[in-house]
Amino acid sequence: MSTPKTHLIGASLPRPDALGKVTGAARYPADLIRPGMLHLQLVFAQRPHARIVALDTSAAEGAPGVAAVLTAKDVPYNAHGLIDADQPALCGDVVRFEGDKVALVVAESKEQAEAAAKLVAVTYEDLPAVTDARAALAAGAPLVHAELGTNLLLHIPIRKGDTARAFAEAAVVLEGAFSTSWQEHAFLQPEAGIAYVDEQERVVIETAGQWLHEDRRQIAAMLQLPEEQVIVRYAAIGGAFGGREDLSMQHLLALAAWKLRRPVAMQWKREESMIAHHKRHPFDIRCRWGATREGRITAVEAEVIADGGAYASTSVEVTKVATLFASGCYEIPNISVDGYAVYTNNVPCGAFRGFGAPQAQFAAEIMVTRLAHALGMDPVELRRRNIYREGSLEPTQQPLPEGVSALPVLERCVEEARARLRYGEPRESDVPSAPHLRRGIGIACGIKNVGYSFGYQEQSTAKVHLYGKAELERAVVLIGAADVGQGAHLILRQIAAETLGIALEQVSMVTDDSGEAPNAGSASASRMTLMGGRAVHDAALAARAKWSAAEEYEAEAEVQFHPPATTPLDPMSGAGRPNYCYGYAAQAVEVEVNTLTGQVRVLRVISVHDVGRAINMQQVEGQIEGCLAQAVGYALLEDFQVRDGHVLTPYFSTYLLPTALDMPPEIVPVVLELADPNGPYGARGVAEMPLVPFAPAVAAAIHDATGVWLSQQPMTPERVLAALSAMNGQSTAG
Amino acid sequence: MKAFDHVTAASTREAVELLSSAAPDGARLIAGGTDLLTLMKADLIAPPRLIDLKPASELRYLRFDDAGALHIGALTTLADLERHPEVAQRLPVLPQSVRDAATPQLRALATVGGNLLQRPRCWYYRGDALCWLKGGSACFARDGQNKYHAILDHSPCVAVHPSDLAPALLALDAELVIHGPGGARVLPVESFFAAPTDQERVEYRLAADEVLAEITVPRQPEGARGAYLKVMDRQAWAFALVSAAAQVALRDGRIEHVRLVLGGVANVPQRIRAVEDLLTGQELTPKLAEQAAERAVAGAKPLAHNAYKVPLARELARRALLAATGLMV
Ligand SMILES: Cc1cc2nc3c(=O)[nH]c(=O)nc-3n(C[C@H](O)[C@H](O)[C@H](O)COP(=O)(O)OP(=O)(O)OC[C@H]3O[C@@H](n4cnc5c(N)ncnc54)[C@H](O)[C@@H]3O)c2cc1C
Ligand code: SF4
Repeated sequence: MSTPKTHLIGASLPRPDALGKVTGAARYPADLIRPGMLHLQLVFAQRPHARIVALDTSAAEGAPGVAAVLTAKDVPYNAHGLIDADQPALCGDVVRFEGDKVALVVAESKEQAEAAAKLVAVTYEDLPAVTDARAALAAGAPLVHAELGTNLLLHIPIRKGDTARAFAEAAVVLEGAFSTSWQEHAFLQPEAGIAYVDEQERVVIETAGQWLHEDRRQIAAMLQLPEEQVIVRYAAIGGAFGGREDLSMQHLLALAAWKLRRPVAMQWKREESMIAHHKRHPFDIRCRWGATREGRITAVEAEVIADGGAYASTSVEVTKVATLFASGCYEIPNISVDGYAVYTNNVPCGAFRGFGAPQAQFAAEIMVTRLAHALGMDPVELRRRNIYREGSLEPTQQPLPEGVSALPVLERCVEEARARLRYGEPRESDVPSAPHLRRGIGIACGIKNVGYSFGYQEQSTAKVHLYGKAELERAVVLIGAADVGQGAHLILRQIAAETLGIALEQVSMVTDDSGEAPNAGSASASRMTLMGGRAVHDAALAARAKWSAAEEYEAEAEVQFHPPATTPLDPMSGAGRPNYCYGYAAQAVEVEVNTLTGQVRVLRVISVHDVGRAINMQQVEGQIEGCLAQAVGYALLEDFQVRDGHVLTPYFSTYLLPTALDMPPEIVPVVLELADPNGPYGARGVAEMPLVPFAPAVAAAIHDATGVWLSQQPMTPERVLAALSAMNGQSTAG
Repeated sequence: MKAFDHVTAASTREAVELLSSAAPDGARLIAGGTDLLTLMKADLIAPPRLIDLKPASELRYLRFDDAGALHIGALTTLADLERHPEVAQRLPVLPQSVRDAATPQLRALATVGGNLLQRPRCWYYRGDALCWLKGGSACFARDGQNKYHAILDHSPCVAVHPSDLAPALLALDAELVIHGPGGARVLPVESFFAAPTDQERVEYRLAADEVLAEITVPRQPEGARGAYLKVMDRQAWAFALVSAAAQVALRDGRIEHVRLVLGGVANVPQRIRAVEDLLTGQELTPKLAEQAAERAVAGAKPLAHNAYKVPLARELARRALLAATGLMV
């Protein structure tokens, strides 16, 4: 693509929505609730697995202020899901996890709805629950979906070369076992919204989400209405991180509004949000890595098991991504990986920033560093020798999509680490006055696909209207793209203005109404800048061309952009072309471990990313820093506790998110701009990448500081202390 | 949360009257509300009436008397305590203990009285489960998820006391002044806290019609110094995994007076007398501090997920003793 001199691309323009967000003027979904609306309160199952023997709503229906109590029988088509429609809107027969919903109380006030919800009498017959993914695969395990006859949702093998032979010939073979836990999105704004039926008989849902048109599709299917009769609008979105990809309450708002023909509102408490919406998948990874004396990684074997929870959500895709990245970003000739997604009676798991990549590479990156140590080689050197290059074959036996920048990203990271952290130099004693404080540095790489994978029909559509007299005066860009806080709307506007050669102020955006704006696809998979941006770019060019030719003072063009096609993975060998674009990252992390308390402080982070082209540098850096906050939580703090299917940490008092004081005092974002062949002005995505290498980089830094390896995420003080005590025998920790 | 009515009490006396005229379980005092309201929102308690104590401004004071004792009104906020220059100078263990409690916003609301009366943070207690402490038959933490729980087994319940202030007050031999319908009584803070029993499933001993009016910290032995150390999972805004408060006075280089209290290890803060006996009359050396710390955790019986607390408690005990003696900063 042509990249002439630009004036808006790369500029750190301020976010137009920032002022409203800090002053409180921005209207989030809960701010749309108005007097006179009916209020909804859900009745949750609060048990992991049970048959509904009887459901008596009469007492609730007779309670003061109650307009209706909706149950499964009121739902026209009682199933939804992003991929498989296997989740009931309201359960009629069986409940499969604690956050399953059995009834929806509609009342004049929130208090009345809450009071009446307590009067809904459900008689359950508890069923045996399976709450461990491995146990769920055992013969005779209780079935989460009895009709399927199995708890196995997906098995995907990836086979390349001959691992048996490679292991036999390897000079070093190491085994590893890793586990990762759930992670909660913890967006600032818990789920909320309103719905009503408008004068055109359309059901309108105003809420927050990540993909207008997909929400619309699922809601229309549930209500058995044509999609045009369902309008989804997004208010200001208070964070998403993948957590708003699945329907949470949007469809229930629609159901109540449609049934009662009155405006309705619902707002979840934090603890409702915590138990009811999907989480990041816990993974159990067992693997074996082999290398030659010369530092060539020759074989990887892995078993990758994801606890998908009670419903399918996006487990199948997340598990494929994790299976693909079980060997990291290294070209390894012999690979045998088996990925499994498993149903359990735990909270469903789905999309969360990184989408399987952080879990897989927590294991892979630690294994690479351990291999280097076993070979007596510098971990960076081992990476250098094996890392993906242009033309490298993926585990799926196809060459990587063009624009492979893993090596320059790593080299830059090492350079910065040498200069800023004195990486590679012998360390003088850490903190002389406090021998229990030990410092260490860890380096790790990361890879994550940009955009949807495995044969998905990727597209993004944008429409551009141009107006003016002699001169082009203004442009209206229509694209149904969710700004989940990442700043997508400004990026798209910058691209439009740049491409049209007009000022930012001359471009207005229509983005938040499924009835007005065309389908941009999801604000997920780090894809909106590349996909939505490219659609806007191409539509702007097309409109501009028409404008020049037109007699009238108006022109319009709509473009649907398709990136290079991907293919499904072969079910026997995993062969295929999984993705059209990857993002590459490398990080160097310095930590200080308190060997008396097990606390780990991250002192400095260097986070290097190839973003292709930074459309707005400030936003790229914001993504890196914000994502690192989530990564700090993931690596060290956030310990989502579930026992027998019950979430024990539904409050932020025990589910510990990082505070400002937990953030590293120094973050150095380093942005490389090695153009992507498909992205607008060469841009690719960055939003997920900082989460991928961070946890293994921290693990390597802890090892560097103390000599112990942690293999469970999060690396809490308890785990660090336990590992130190195990190393030192029982006498003293430290 | 259920609806309730709200009345105000302008004085201690009025509060006692309102409490004693209410039906059993009919009313609760509210001070800062930072714990009470979370319990109400989770439907763990549903008092039909709240008696707001905040208008009783006579209960908000910090004052040293001529004898050198500190009087802390129950409505004093944690922030008041944290910022009082004279307290910081004479009883530094107090501001140290509240400095890392909760957040600045919470400390501005949270009162000293409410802090001592806050309920456990055990996740089974705060959740829906009807565990033993809430009147059920079993403690779910004992064989469940118990990484934050007790390593000393003193009760069917193994929850730990969340207060940071309480260990410090124990180390200072503080006393409580409690007003009830029959008048006032004074009680050492150590007897106020007690592990829950079958009859009294609560961590303190205060009747439903009593008001905690004052915490009195007696004059400390000449030259006494204190230290409070707290370890949290993150850098701020978390409850103590383990904490240690020490108060030590030396005479001619030997320990004349010592208190060592551990938090986060049992239902209520634990004063470790065995360590005090060991140290009194001795010269504190790093070696002796180590022995003392060893003794501090001698009776520990960790549960499945909290064995890490034993070395943690040992180290904190050692460091708190050294810090209070000035051997370590
Ligand atoms: C997010 C969070 C984090 C926290 N972290 C910490 C921490 O790290 N360390 C720590 O120590 N604490 C922590 N706390 C607890 C906090 O310090 C207490 O909630 C607070 O001190 C309670 O004081 P209050 O005035 O708000 O009490 P309230 O909530 O008003 O009352 C608590 C109880 O005390 C009773 N009560 C109050 N005053 C009196 C009185 N004078 N006489 C008789 N009964 C009375 C009330 O009836 C109620 O039962 C945290 C709390 C929260 C919400
Ligand atoms: S520790 Fe106490 S509060 Fe927690 S479950 Fe056991 S009895 Fe209940």
